Amino acid sequence: MIDVATLLFLLFATPVACSLPIAFAWVYRPGADWARKLPILSVFGLFVSLCIAIYILLYFPDGVFEYPWLPDYNINFVFVFDYLSKYMGALTAFIAFLIGVYGLEYMKHDYRLGWYWFFFNMFTASMLLVVYSDNLLMLLIGWEGLGLASWGLIGHWFRDDDELAYVGVIGRKVGPLKMFWSPSFGGWRAISTIRFGDMPMFFAIAAIYALTGTLNISEIDWGHLFHHIGLVGTLILMIAFLMGPFTKSAQLPFSEWLMTAMTGPTTVSALLHSATMVAAGTYLFMRLSLYIEPWKLHHTPGVEQLYFFVLFLGLISALYGASVALGCRERKVLLAASTMSSLGLMFACAAASFWLGKIAIYVAFWYLITHAFAKATLFLVAGHLIHATHDRFCCGNLELAKKMKVAFLATIFATLCLSGIPPFTAYWVKSAMDYVMHHLMHEVGGAPLYLLIAVSVIYSAFLAKFLSLNFIKGDKPKHLHLHGEILMPLAYAVMVSMLALLLYAILTGREVEELVRNGLEMFVEKGFEKTSLAVGLAVLISYAITLAIPKLESPIGRFLGDRMYMPALNDYIVPKIGWAIAKAVDWCNKVIDVFCHQAIPELISTYSLGVRAIQSGSLRRYVKIALGFVMVALIFASLVGW
Amino acid sequence: MNAVVFALLIPLIITFIAPFFSPKRATIVSFLAFIVPFFVTLWALLTGYEFELPLMNLGKPIGEFYLFADPISNAFGATICLISAMVALYSLPYMKHRFEEMRDEIDDVTREFRKYFFLYNLYAVSMLWLVYSGNLILLYIFLEISLLASFLLIYKYGYGNRQWVALLYFVWTHIAGVLTLIGFLMVAFENSTLALKGITTVSFLAWLLIFLGMIVKLPGLGPHIWLPWAHAEAPTPVSALLSPLTVGLAGYVLLRVYMVSPWFINEFRDIIIAYGIITSLYAGFSVFRQTDYKRLLAYSTVSQMGYMLIALCLGSYGLLGVIIQYVSHAFGKSILFMTAGGIIALYHGLRDVNKMGGLHEYIPTISNAALIGFMNLSGILAIGMFGEFFILKGIVDVYGLNLKLIVAVVAVFIISGWYSFYTLRKIFYGTPKDMERPKVSRFLDTPLYVIGIISIVFIFPPLATLFLKSLKLCVLGGVMP
Amino acid sequence: MVGIMIASLIFVTLGTLIFLKRPKIVFVISLLAVLILLLLPEFRSYVALVIAIGVLNLLSMMIMNNQIKGLDYALTALIAMATVYVVFTNDLTMILLMFVISSIPTYILVMTSENGAKVDVAVKYITFMVFATVLFLTGAVLLVYSKNVGSELIYLLGFVMLIIGLGMEVGCAPMHEWVPDVFDSADPIPISIIASIAKIVPFVVAYKILIMTLNPTTAKIVPFVAFVAAVSMFVGNIGALTSTKPARILAYSTVANMGYILATLVALINLDWIYLAFAGALLQLMANAFGKIGFLVSMKEGGASTYLMYALAFSFIGMPPLIGFWGKLFILLSIVKVGYVWLALILVINSAMSVPYYVRLARILAKPTIPSFVNAIALIAVALTFITLIPPNWFVDLAKAIIGGV
Repeated sequence: MIDVATLLFLLFATPVACSLPIAFAWVYRPGADWARKLPILSVFGLFVSLCIAIYILLYFPDGVFEYPWLPDYNINFVFVFDYLSKYMGALTAFIAFLIGVYGLEYMKHDYRLGWYWFFFNMFTASMLLVVYSDNLLMLLIGWEGLGLASWGLIGHWFRDDDELAYVGVIGRKVGPLKMFWSPSFGGWRAISTIRFGDMPMFFAIAAIYALTGTLNISEIDWGHLFHHIGLVGTLILMIAFLMGPFTKSAQLPFSEWLMTAMTGPTTVSALLHSATMVAAGTYLFMRLSLYIEPWKLHHTPGVEQLYFFVLFLGLISALYGASVALGCRERKVLLAASTMSSLGLMFACAAASFWLGKIAIYVAFWYLITHAFAKATLFLVAGHLIHATHDRFCCGNLELAKKMKVAFLATIFATLCLSGIPPFTAYWVKSAMDYVMHHLMHEVGGAPLYLLIAVSVIYSAFLAKFLSLNFIKGDKPKHLHLHGEILMPLAYAVMVSMLALLLYAILTGREVEELVRNGLEMFVEKGFEKTSLAVGLAVLISYAITLAIPKLESPIGRFLGDRMYMPALNDYIVPKIGWAIAKAVDWCNKVIDVFCHQAIPELISTYSLGVRAIQSGSLRRYVKIALGFVMVALIFASLVGW
Repeated sequence: MNAVVFALLIPLIITFIAPFFSPKRATIVSFLAFIVPFFVTLWALLTGYEFELPLMNLGKPIGEFYLFADPISNAFGATICLISAMVALYSLPYMKHRFEEMRDEIDDVTREFRKYFFLYNLYAVSMLWLVYSGNLILLYIFLEISLLASFLLIYKYGYGNRQWVALLYFVWTHIAGVLTLIGFLMVAFENSTLALKGITTVSFLAWLLIFLGMIVKLPGLGPHIWLPWAHAEAPTPVSALLSPLTVGLAGYVLLRVYMVSPWFINEFRDIIIAYGIITSLYAGFSVFRQTDYKRLLAYSTVSQMGYMLIALCLGSYGLLGVIIQYVSHAFGKSILFMTAGGIIALYHGLRDVNKMGGLHEYIPTISNAALIGFMNLSGILAIGMFGEFFILKGIVDVYGLNLKLIVAVVAVFIISGWYSFYTLRKIFYGTPKDMERPKVSRFLDTPLYVIGIISIVFIFPPLATLFLKSLKLCVLGGVMP
Repeated sequence: MVGIMIASLIFVTLGTLIFLKRPKIVFVISLLAVLILLLLPEFRSYVALVIAIGVLNLLSMMIMNNQIKGLDYALTALIAMATVYVVFTNDLTMILLMFVISSIPTYILVMTSENGAKVDVAVKYITFMVFATVLFLTGAVLLVYSKNVGSELIYLLGFVMLIIGLGMEVGCAPMHEWVPDVFDSADPIPISIIASIAKIVPFVVAYKILIMTLNPTTAKIVPFVAFVAAVSMFVGNIGALTSTKPARILAYSTVANMGYILATLVALINLDWIYLAFAGALLQLMANAFGKIGFLVSMKEGGASTYLMYALAFSFIGMPPLIGFWGKLFILLSIVKVGYVWLALILVINSAMSVPYYVRLARILAKPTIPSFVNAIALIAVALTFITLIPPNWFVDLAKAIIGGV
């Protein structure tokens, strides 16, 4: 029996270690035949992680495990095993492994396999680190790892020479805005946005350490901390902290990077959007809320304001994301916007825990799981579609559907499950969410509930649109090449079947001990309430309508499709300000440079010539000067003496 | 005598022996001369080893000359050894290229290599000894020797208007040195000694002069204008020592003086930290408009040195920040300068960022090394992470949750990350330009990876555990709470 | 002690008179006469350094042919003897006599050249020297007189006259006009003597007299010294910056160096640190002497070994551990200590300004390394700038001993 420390070490180290052979092989022998076989080893690494994660899920008792890191500072590697982390860990490892299998085929002919697999595996390992860590500094390592790996993967096709890797219609401009983005730009945009959030979060972590002397989420006495720093302090600290999750989970106004992140390979988008990276933000918020226990802190200054803020930020982002997705024509960007919307809902729902208690967090978490499988499926399908049709934009008709039956069926099932149509998986979770928002009626008002319903309706509409435009009513694809893929359909078939498994778990939830213990038996209970059924019906109707009429040309649609011109913020306003400062600074540098290195030397050389001009060679003149000085000095001395 | 002293003597002796070898052998010998002390000092650092070795007593007011080591000097010393060793390896292919370029001016390459290695080793060894000096005058002497050696290296092998640049460098740092010297002398009269262990008080004027001198050398905003010239026009191996090691030593001097007499920094904390932040932001923004890769890196150095100034104001955790920041910046910047040099050597002096782009296609190893370098600068998954952590903690310790300051410091860190990845994209990614795929000498990329791997390994146990433990005992045990 | 001095003096005088037609023998006699002084029991390190400078001067005289060949060696030896003797005596008459003895031979030496006497140079030089000597002597007498009568005004006048006389003698601005012209037009070898050994006596004498006559009024007039010193530094360094002829650069460098040394006199206001100031002055005079000999002698042949030239330049710039660094260090120490921080800062600025022209000078004079007599002399000069590899705290003791008896 290996001990816990080794097991955990293997959990994180195996994926990275197994990707090193291909990484090095590719540096020295890029494209060699033997090197193209090495990715199997990387996937094996992911498989090892998966096994360990499942082992942890099944056999580890709840609790923490500590390994010394900086014991003198009371900062250690602390791993936490609880409901959230065990399920999340297994989910991450599972999805990563499946996508890895898919990637074996999808990326077969890529020109940069070493880079891809190294960052892919590092991405997974980092996410696992985030999931299992209780210590904030250790979490930050995983967090930074996510940021870095996402940068590497989004900008994977760094040559910017493949039209398929772009986002937006190449060459299109709206006013001064270029509405297309290259992969290398997508990478830079992602990391720059994430840095913008990570640094305040980093500060918050350091501040928590300075104020409490510990960094273990489960150990910190949050209530005491908030009391100690007061209203303003709490808001500064927590908003700084949540800047990390907000940017990672692409909440407004940091959503742009997520859209341009679609420049990466589809496998990356799938992983990024389901269980890693963007989920890390909401996951962290859930984990934090679970230990802050805001429902007990109603009298602590700042906490209510904070949760109120997160609630509405989440809902508004959800609405924004859903609307944008409705107007999108690009397969992956549509899905990206929908992810943003889902993340908003997760944030909102988890934030409701302030009024509702723990249960809201579990609802949000279950939504995360459902969403992860469904979204991964959809992305994998989208990837396959792009592969087959060589087109980033939605296109495809029934003819295509016939040729890609698995994909077609998987899409139908995934969209049904995700949109919340009764009696599919997300319906039950969404009903619980309806209940949560409904509950807020007294404290916050009706807005959350109405926003949620609006989002749900739009959400199902664009999912139907995705289905319809790609398999039923879309244009006929210009090219269609099926290469007899096996692993790809297999991967998304397995992925989508997980949704069925979830559905089974929810419906028979009364028997699953875990669900009961955490009060989630209410999924089914709430699902049969009238309001939930009504919402379900509305969702179904919108699904059906969009399925029938997937396309509707209108200026509003274009406005939505252009993401309400949010790119202006990232592409125009911020850079303009930045460049203005950079120019001013540059100008200042020039002035200082000229002053120090030209003006002063010139001044001195002028004086120098002056000094040398005395040397005329005439002795008379010399004597005059010298004796003149003697006279002056003597008079001066007399004056002093007198 | 103990292991560390022996380790310090090795490079000193080799400095005078290396010129007698052939270029290739001299490279290896210089490399060994620094890598051995690296392991010794690293061992001393990790075990928290301390010693004191009296050399001679000069009587009042200069006092005792002695060598001493504590975890602080070991941290600086180990960094200097590692970088010097790696850059020594790197020098061989690079200087070969440089001498090739300069063939009109020099007649015998072997002879030039002799001179080069003598100056290079002298330069590195003087910095190494500086951090072990127990007397401020001794420290000053090593400071000036390192200045002299680097000056000659720029003067002889630099780029552009190299003689002008070398003089400019000399004049600025000479002013810095002599101002500091006057400060030291005033300290000497106040305490009748300049031995670090004997100094008890530092008066206002003395502190001010030392501070101003070191600000010129560090450099802060204003005097920073010399740095882009010197660091950009120096031959790249020299830049790879100048920028990572030499300028940061000004921070070391301030740190030492702070540890014996912290009142000045504490009294003027607000002004100094504001100055540090402005320096850092200003230089950070300057990076974006640079078109010369080496100049760009030089501005980034100014920005990073602002961190040290900020950290210096932040109490004892800030001091940890100063030390770790030095180490991390040294690792990162040496890698980056070597990547710049790699591009210069492989593409016949290519330095214009606008003419680069997509270089990852042709020189992936160098591009990946640059990534590690920039990770160090922005504190992602490298030792710099701890530096930033302690700086941020120091802010809360000293200033509490002061929103303005927090925003400013966070902005400083964000800017570093931004320019790092902006530059990476501009140089290495995007559509490749029409170039050839060169054959890269292993000496041009392997040293970069060694430094890079060490910088990453340093955040994990056991290195991190032992490293920070020693520092804690040394810094938090000694100074103010 | 006096016996040795007199013996040496008689030896060189008689020897010269007898062998005037045979320069080589005169050279040997002069050399011996100078070396005899090593037997002197006190201040040995000072004596040794002065003799080293003297011997270097004698050796460099060998590479120059002139009309008074033979006599030039004797004159050089004479200056060296005066320079040695001046520290042994505190008798006013004697030290003033030494001042004159060290000055007069240079009048003759400055004229010498390989082809005919340079009268125009000599006229300028001698004019200034006569003024200088008169002012210096008058000043000295007035100072001593004021001590007896206790008149403040006379003291001040005497002080100013002495300082101006000293300044003219050694070439401080604004009485420096003769320096660039003389350096430029005369032969470098005699200039190397004027610029090295001949500078020592005036300062020692000035120190001795000023310390002898020290009184509370001194503090009032010391700013005048600081002023002249500052002007001298600036004029010297700024003037040198745009000069391109090595001789001119060295001339202005002399003006600047004399400024540094003059600055030490501000320490007169605090007797506790005067010995440090004197140590700084002496060390800087030595540094200046070695450097000037090295450069000027090399100039005679158009240059010398690159390494030697750069080593000398760095000594002048003040790089540790060369002698120039310690000189400046002690100067800074003393003026900072007595509270003249502004003067110290001016010194810093000047020291930075001096960097470019010293490097330029070294570059102009740099030649490949070949065995030659000039290189040998420069090598000795460089070796001597390295004597401070061992930190010269002994020098402070020496200075204390020399000054202490006054």
